[in-house]
Amino acid sequence: MDGIVDVLHFAVDGVTQQQQATANNLANSETPGFTGQDVSFESSLQQAINSTSGGTASVLVTPDPAAPATNGNNVTTSTQLVNAQEETLKYQAMVEMLNAQFRLVSGATGGSFT
Amino acid sequence: MSLFGNIDVSATGIGAAQTWLNTIAGNIANMNDVGPVNAAVYGQQAPVFTPTVSFDQVGDGVAVAAIAVGDTTGIIQSDPSSPVANAQGLVRVPDVQLGSQMVDMIQAQTDFQANTSALASAKTAYQSALTLGT
Repeated sequence: MDGIVDVLHFAVDGVTQQQQATANNLANSETPGFTGQDVSFESSLQQAINSTSGGTASVLVTPDPAAPATNGNNVTTSTQLVNAQEETLKYQAMVEMLNAQFRLVSGATGGSFT
Repeated sequence: MSLFGNIDVSATGIGAAQTWLNTIAGNIANMNDVGPVNAAVYGQQAPVFTPTVSFDQVGDGVAVAAIAVGDTTGIIQSDPSSPVANAQGLVRVPDVQLGSQMVDMIQAQTDFQANTSALASAKTAYQSALTLGT
């Protein structure tokens, strides 16, 4: 795993999956017996970046460990809504970083830096 | 997973909440039904939600598997003026409690709004992706 664009590409995909999990958790917030899903990729990506032998990052899907309510559902709507906002901001930040990289390449190859 | 798939996931949630609201509206509309003692009356309806299983690991949203119809036995009341009353002046009415329906309605409304909010978040993210390379 090397190259800023590759790293950002992986991270954007990871955040997209996090957003899907959040959307799925919210869609099932009234489904009896439903266990929410957590998606994480950050620590795996960190390890792959730090690895000297070229590690591979992966996206991990785990069940939400929160205690279920009386209907067996453990989704907390407010937490999920906060996650949705956070993930959108992360996504936008990554897209901005990608665009910055593309501008650098564009400028270095005789085009515009802006 | 289709293009802009996260919007589809939220859409399933919005659809499920809408179905729930529809059943509540039906229940309240039929709350004051009156029937003869020897016949079944309106049974309270409620949607049965099930998660949509995805081929990849993260779920694909929710589906309404069925509409559960509650007890059609209802409650026997005395209403001698009703044209459907029997010789003893008794009629059968649905067992729909307005209080629990109103509570369900608030939950369904919140459910709807939460899914709409998640959809708006996904839309904002996708819109930023469309600026890539511009």
